[in-house]
Amino acid sequence: MTQTISRRNLLSWLGRLLEERLLIAPTHTTGPILFQPVSKIEDIVLDFDNTALSAKEWFFPATETLFWAETTDGRTELVPATVEREAVVFGIRPCDAKGLALVDKAFLAEPADTLYQQHRDKAVLVGLSCRKASPQCFCTSMGTAPNDPTHVDILLTEVEEDYIVQIVTEKGKALLPDNLLLESKVVPPPPPSPPVVSAEGIEEVMRQAFDSPYWSRLADRCVHCNLCAYVCPTCYCFDIRDYESKGKIERVRSWESCQSPGFTRQAGGYNPRASKGARLRQRFYHKLLYFPEDFGAIACAGCGRCVQVCPVNIDIREVIADIQTIGGRNVP
Amino acid sequence: MSPENPFVPYLATVKNVVTLTPDIKLLGLELDDPTVRDNFSYKAGQFAVLSAFGVGEAPFCLASVSHPKGELEFAVRRIGTVTSSLQELEPEAAVGVRGPFGNCFPLDDNKGQNIFIIGGGIGMAPLRPVINTILRNRDDYGHLLIINGARTPQDLVFQAEFDIWASSPRTQLELTVDRGHDGWKGRVALVPAVIAELNPSPENTVAITCGPPIMIRFTLQELRKLGFQDNQIITTLEMKMKCGLGKCARCNVGDMYVCKDGPVFTCEQISKFIEQF
Repeated sequence: MTQTISRRNLLSWLGRLLEERLLIAPTHTTGPILFQPVSKIEDIVLDFDNTALSAKEWFFPATETLFWAETTDGRTELVPATVEREAVVFGIRPCDAKGLALVDKAFLAEPADTLYQQHRDKAVLVGLSCRKASPQCFCTSMGTAPNDPTHVDILLTEVEEDYIVQIVTEKGKALLPDNLLLESKVVPPPPPSPPVVSAEGIEEVMRQAFDSPYWSRLADRCVHCNLCAYVCPTCYCFDIRDYESKGKIERVRSWESCQSPGFTRQAGGYNPRASKGARLRQRFYHKLLYFPEDFGAIACAGCGRCVQVCPVNIDIREVIADIQTIGGRNVP
Repeated sequence: MSPENPFVPYLATVKNVVTLTPDIKLLGLELDDPTVRDNFSYKAGQFAVLSAFGVGEAPFCLASVSHPKGELEFAVRRIGTVTSSLQELEPEAAVGVRGPFGNCFPLDDNKGQNIFIIGGGIGMAPLRPVINTILRNRDDYGHLLIINGARTPQDLVFQAEFDIWASSPRTQLELTVDRGHDGWKGRVALVPAVIAELNPSPENTVAITCGPPIMIRFTLQELRKLGFQDNQIITTLEMKMKCGLGKCARCNVGDMYVCKDGPVFTCEQISKFIEQF
């Protein structure tokens, strides 16, 4: 037997959650479909391919205050930022949930990034299986799937007017009351199957391809706009800066990209990774070799957003295929 | 660092500001919280991230030897916005300290060995606690040879300590500058040339070097010519850093994060990195 929830019950449940918690869901109130705090249930978009940005920004915001420094009568006091509000992130795709699980590996390793930890602990993830694969999708090549429940607390899969409900964690069980669910004999639809890119053995070929001229040729067309990093559910590099206004100082962290020339530029001007080729290579090596060496998984969830937004059509799927072909040969 | 948030620094107070050279000052800091002060112990080679509140943070090696009652000392060269504002601080000003971070020079493993120190400019800062640790435990180590180089005589750091270093038992201090002036009676030579001239034996010796990248490159060549093996040469890697915790990935080189796996590496380790600078 399978458990289902009707669309009507789903919406009334979300309505109740909205009163108790911060509800973050795909909306199009600002134009593109984005995860936004919901103020009315009608704003939630249920029928979408994927959001323009992943839900990463609700756990690792584009800019976030780490602490405030206040000086009164010559005494400085630091007030750390904390996450107070319980949240539900509704409508996250399995690929983006996998992306969060990958960021966890870096941020929750000791010493844990406690602010990120609080964001994660205070939020319940309600996932939505994908009904179709978009042209840029390749999640199954990156160890997840359109109906993968592994990294969410509850997974919903749409069937006709209802949703099949998979309660994955205790946190998910506590959120969704049993009385909203129905026993059903409905059979889940077959998941879409996006094209496969073989990343099998990629670490070994990456080790061989480091000095290939492939990287600088690929980077010739890169305009280091950083979009690939900003839309990526797994990119987690950041910058830390101070801002001061009206005597109040805040220390803020913000997304940063290894593609920007300032990423490794030291005070005084020396930059060990001064060329675009070296920087683009760093992006792919961090994802396809260093992160796997450190954490045992490729730092990519196969959402394909970087493929979609790149203004010069640099496509990680093509890069993987090219490197598999180039291997140790020194010609692209 | 607050246990609730590793990005929140310990508060500290500037106690001493000593001008070492026209662009380098030595800041002596005292951590405000006595419990934090008692527990803040560190080893030569480790670093801390200093905050100039309202301007930002930057990493600096600890230039002092760890002591519960001692000030934390940092040699700060004026090179960017954070270093400029740290240099402007007066005694009793508040600063932030996160750390200690990173690994250290393997001085415990080097006991019984001769130590050959080669420092250039501000690169002497992490080497100063190495020298002072050896001098405080003089019987544990063999001959200590120090080459301290700078652009000009006035750029030599830690001049107030030269007499103590030079007069210590089995210790040889050699100073050199790239450009002398009329009153300078010492050497005018590049650091690698001084290594060749002194020709120290690599036998039972470890070489520890810190300085600008160009000096390091030619120093390594010279040391190898003298027969030093890569596992006998220790240096520190410089990469831009932000968090100090192995998170922000600014200092990522291969599968290493210089802030947590370094900054101290042997040349043997560095030569195995996939990315070479």
